[in-house]
Amino acid sequence: MPTISINRDLLFNALGKSYSEEEFDELCFKFGIELDEVTSDKLIILKEQGTERSVGASEEIIYKIDIPANRYDLLCLEGLVQGLQVFLGETEFPPFKLIPSQKVPQRLIVKSSTSSIRPYAVAAVLRNICFDQHTFNSFIDLQDKLHQNLCRKRSLVAIGTHDLDTVQGPFYYEALPPDSIKFQPLNQTKEFTASKLMDLYATDSHLRHYLPIIKDSPVYPVIKDSNGVVLSMPPIINGEHSKITLNTKNVFIECTATDLTKASIVLDTLVCMFSRYCQDQFTVEICEIETPQGGIKNYPILKTRQEKIDVNKINKMVGINEEADKVADLLTRMCLTATVAENGCLSVTIPPTRHDIIHACDVYEDVAIAFGYNNIEKTLPSTNTIASQFPLNKLTDQLREQLAQAGFTEALTFSLCSKEDISDKLRKPLSSIPAVHVSNPKTLEFQVARSTLLPGLLKTIAANRKLPLPLKFFEVSDVVLKDNQRDVGARNCRKLCIVYYNKSPGFELVHGLLDRLMQLLEIPLDPTGTTGYSLKSCDDATFFPGRCAHVVFEGVTVGVLGVLHPEVVTSFDLNLPCSALELNVEPFL
Amino acid sequence: MAIAHGEKLLKYLEENGKANSLKLSELWNEDHQKIVGTVKSLLCLGDVIEAELHSTVKWDLTEEGKQVAAHGSHEAQIYNAIPPSGSTQPEIMAQASIPNASFTKDMAKVGFSKAMSLGWIAVDKSSGAPKFIQKVSSIQDVVQEHLKDLATGKNTLTNELRTEVVKSYEMKPGSSFSTSVTKQETDLTPEMIASGSWKTKEFKAYNLNALGTPVPRGHLHPLMKVRAEFRQIFLEMGFTEMPTNNYVESSFWNFDALFQPQQHPARDAHDTFFLADPATASDIPTDYMERVKNVHSHGGYGSQGYGYDWKVEEAQKNLLRTHTTAVSARMLYALAQGGFKPAKYFSIDRVFRNETLDATHLAEFHQIEGVIADYGLTLGNLIGVLYEFFRKLGIEKLRFKPAYNPYTEPSMEIFSYHPGLKKWVEIGNSGIFRPEMLLPMGLPEDVSVLAWGLSLERPTMIKYGYDNIRDLVGPKVNMQMVADNPLCRLDKHRGTEIKEPEYLQELDIRMDSIMTRLRGIENEVNKLKKQGKGSQEKLTLVIEADPNYPPLSVQTLIRILMASRNVPVSVTIHQHSSLKKACSTDLMQWAKSTTSNLNRIDNLFNLTWIWKSIGPRPAAKVVNHCNGDICGEAAVARLLARLLESWTDCAFYENYDLNTTAEIDDWLDMWESCIQSGDPTFVVLANRINNRLNSSDGRKWLIGSFPGTKSLADVFLSTLLGHKLNSDRAKEWLSRCNSF
Repeated sequence: MPTISINRDLLFNALGKSYSEEEFDELCFKFGIELDEVTSDKLIILKEQGTERSVGASEEIIYKIDIPANRYDLLCLEGLVQGLQVFLGETEFPPFKLIPSQKVPQRLIVKSSTSSIRPYAVAAVLRNICFDQHTFNSFIDLQDKLHQNLCRKRSLVAIGTHDLDTVQGPFYYEALPPDSIKFQPLNQTKEFTASKLMDLYATDSHLRHYLPIIKDSPVYPVIKDSNGVVLSMPPIINGEHSKITLNTKNVFIECTATDLTKASIVLDTLVCMFSRYCQDQFTVEICEIETPQGGIKNYPILKTRQEKIDVNKINKMVGINEEADKVADLLTRMCLTATVAENGCLSVTIPPTRHDIIHACDVYEDVAIAFGYNNIEKTLPSTNTIASQFPLNKLTDQLREQLAQAGFTEALTFSLCSKEDISDKLRKPLSSIPAVHVSNPKTLEFQVARSTLLPGLLKTIAANRKLPLPLKFFEVSDVVLKDNQRDVGARNCRKLCIVYYNKSPGFELVHGLLDRLMQLLEIPLDPTGTTGYSLKSCDDATFFPGRCAHVVFEGVTVGVLGVLHPEVVTSFDLNLPCSALELNVEPFL
Repeated sequence: MAIAHGEKLLKYLEENGKANSLKLSELWNEDHQKIVGTVKSLLCLGDVIEAELHSTVKWDLTEEGKQVAAHGSHEAQIYNAIPPSGSTQPEIMAQASIPNASFTKDMAKVGFSKAMSLGWIAVDKSSGAPKFIQKVSSIQDVVQEHLKDLATGKNTLTNELRTEVVKSYEMKPGSSFSTSVTKQETDLTPEMIASGSWKTKEFKAYNLNALGTPVPRGHLHPLMKVRAEFRQIFLEMGFTEMPTNNYVESSFWNFDALFQPQQHPARDAHDTFFLADPATASDIPTDYMERVKNVHSHGGYGSQGYGYDWKVEEAQKNLLRTHTTAVSARMLYALAQGGFKPAKYFSIDRVFRNETLDATHLAEFHQIEGVIADYGLTLGNLIGVLYEFFRKLGIEKLRFKPAYNPYTEPSMEIFSYHPGLKKWVEIGNSGIFRPEMLLPMGLPEDVSVLAWGLSLERPTMIKYGYDNIRDLVGPKVNMQMVADNPLCRLDKHRGTEIKEPEYLQELDIRMDSIMTRLRGIENEVNKLKKQGKGSQEKLTLVIEADPNYPPLSVQTLIRILMASRNVPVSVTIHQHSSLKKACSTDLMQWAKSTTSNLNRIDNLFNLTWIWKSIGPRPAAKVVNHCNGDICGEAAVARLLARLLESWTDCAFYENYDLNTTAEIDDWLDMWESCIQSGDPTFVVLANRINNRLNSSDGRKWLIGSFPGTKSLADVFLSTLLGHKLNSDRAKEWLSRCNSF
């Protein structure tokens, strides 16, 4: 969820009203955004750098506001104010207008060389714009917010904004070998080749994150004007030459992308938010995009969609009973201007700022928000169903009860662990274990899904050595095993594990508990091993030789018990004998 | 045995009226511990005897002391070993060890130097090799005499001794004294029942104030107890449990089926555990997958879609499920295939996030999920069900906030009012599944699916008061915690959650903050004390004060600190931008004249003084120590007094004995309570000071026995209240304080 920082006084000034913190918090809550933190530059510096640095920093109040991830139209002061004012019914949603260029339209020619790296580009022009310091900052901040969120850290879309009066169209978007791109990048004093730039920015705390998007490509994307001046090398950096300033009058906006839909949304969002500062408010000048196939497409699309929505369906979905005109009012307050149409329908206008509205259900939600979630009448569904438990969970819970009644205490350990935990420490080669491996663990503790409950319990003992002996722990939980019979190639297996740690191994105790469990499950002891359960001596590297047996149930091995091998004991930082039983629960269902 | 002794002891008591265990041990030539054992067993019989424990300190000779008592002091042994003609050092040492074989070289060294300094022996170099000769004709070995005295019980000296604490009993007959003892039985035995001897036996009384023996027992884990409670609630509400025993899931079921686009941030390796082995899934239902692909890339079912190139490779990637909603998706798909029937499902099971771990986040946690699928369900239904669900948990006050979730629309975050925190806290998420998720599965168009989810760990942590999730889950858990954990009754508010009257809570909070500050100060002082004067760590103190309420006493103390000149000090004074008008030059320069010439880094003590509009309570903070602010003039003054003491070693506040320190604190507290009770005139306190100074003894200072001793109380109160005092004695006191 993106968070935006807004100067409180500027916000209240733009809203034309002051709120107490509680009032504003309440308003945010209703609107579906969240006043996350109230701070100031000074407090931020104080927190991060200490008292001394903060002396003299601005104490103007800053509101940090959480915005839902799909509301790109609220990511800047302009959009937030517009959204809130319309919500409060204080203003109407403005009509956005596309206007043709007064002379030749600006054209961006996309070359086929870009197809391998970043195939799409769109563009627009904001004419006769007038920035002040605050609006200029907001313009830059919005690009940054969009880059971080909708543009997925510039991988899907990258935005470049330029002073149109410093360059000469038509513009060319192509992909060239890094060494043949040379220009003076933003805020640098000399020219660099693209390869040199990659080195330069490798240590840049901000830009280095974007380098991998193109670094290994044989060609890098670049936009030049008709004189060969480099406007930008997306998605890394713009050129210094066409840099926009407070005095810029005409802004050329280009977005290059790997996802054309998102590029168009980004462009729409940017021009909708800032066309208000154009001399001719809310107008955007069309640019032509020439595709490698030779077709011409106009951008921005700035499409306003009309949807017919059934009022009855809205009422039914939300659980309210409102007249059509009231519902239309509610929608209008959410920037979805609506009018009552025939047949109990509303005609809803979806503006180019609301790309999040992709289905009627999105409209229903806005009705519910405008109505107020907390004003909706609580009702209970009439759905009549008979409950049942998942049989394996039911059996598990019954066994857990019994184990606790037998004097063992339940541990709850992690499903993920290190490779070592399930192999070396248990004296078994990793290759012999059908374990599921994680490809991107952040630490060693998350390398594999556990294939046995034993390591977790032994770690629990290690962490509790100070408790009086004997230590008697159990866990009944899932392990994960590879299984190519399943669609995902793995399955869970419900295991029961108990450990007994004392000055003497206590094999007979663990054995006794197994007998008790079998008695509870009504399974008789059958040394022939065909009908009931039996123990069969076995070799298992985890256990001490001659002190280990398989639990056989109806001819199939379902578990193992024994005295742990001294090397297993010590590999878990323990020093006393320990007996263990691990049993597959599923055959007993 | 003990009883036999016991009767002997009782007879002795009857004859003598009193007894002492040590004396008895001598008298009967019996080990003292045995006598003590006898006394203890007699004491168990009730009021037969009365005994009082005495500790006496006994002086005893060490091994070395014993040697000295026998053979003379080291110096005497050296003296005695020197023949009249004198001898060399090795010879003398050899001679000395003839009568006393355990006379060591070290002792000899001590002996030589001591004998030299006493003038008993001298070095004669006249005949070439240095020789030692006796300088005096006879000596008196006082050390040996003293030690001999001690060995025979005369206590005259303290050196060369080891102390031994001897505990002995002083006894006299008790209220039910008798010379014959019947041993009380501790417990009933089978033999007593068989023989009937229980009828005549006396039984020792139980100590009912002691705790019983702990019962050997097993326990269920607290988190699983809370899970059982949630499970029970779902079952009571008619929800069927979903089979969630599949941690490994394909991206398809975890994300794509839920209409979560393939570029969604949650599908990043930063947030999700993907698998290396088995890396991909197969067997995704082909036609369903085709519908999912279409709705993502082109829309349909009334949707615009996301308009991107949907890739099957992305959907096949295996992962550890990030939510149990993946299972819900499988269940709903199955429900659609078998001919839809209304259903209510729940699950509580593990999910995995590749998150940065902290006190409240683990890489795996339990998700609780509820799902209702039926024709014509409404958002009002969802709200109604959530109220019922949370009511069963004892939560009555709910509030819903619009939110965004890729697979639900509408989406609502669930907030509940937390009476302890006094605010609304998020407790879960909920919504109605999107048609783009349900319709490709083949569910009828007029079926809606309500769903909500929350974590199991969070309510458990709140319920049982855990701050750190690692104390609750994982192998590092203290199993004693599991043993001590009470029943889980989520609808009952007891124990830690019990509601206290508000004034008690406020008192608690105040007490806590005072204790925190005290601990902070204690740490500071201990640190400072440890450092000593030679190796002081640099100390930076920031004091914030209001120019409308200048903390005069604090300023005075700082001047005293600087005047002590024991440490290089620098003071910088700032004014905060919050001030409405600039500070006068006086305020900005009050400490300038005393600032040392060193620059900041060389100073051991740097004080930053900030004038700020913070009202009458100044605040001090020791930079780089994470203790909280020290607030209020008295508290800051105490801190400075401690600093002064640690730097100058004078007694001013805590270097006095405890009683005096407490007296000083009393005076400072009186001043504080005047401030707090709104007695800005300080009439009562001023009277007290006057009375104290005017008392008949005519004391000089407020604290200590006549004539008193100067302390923090004097400096503090004279600076703050001096102008209110006008008796002659008080004026004299003021001038004394000023010259301090």
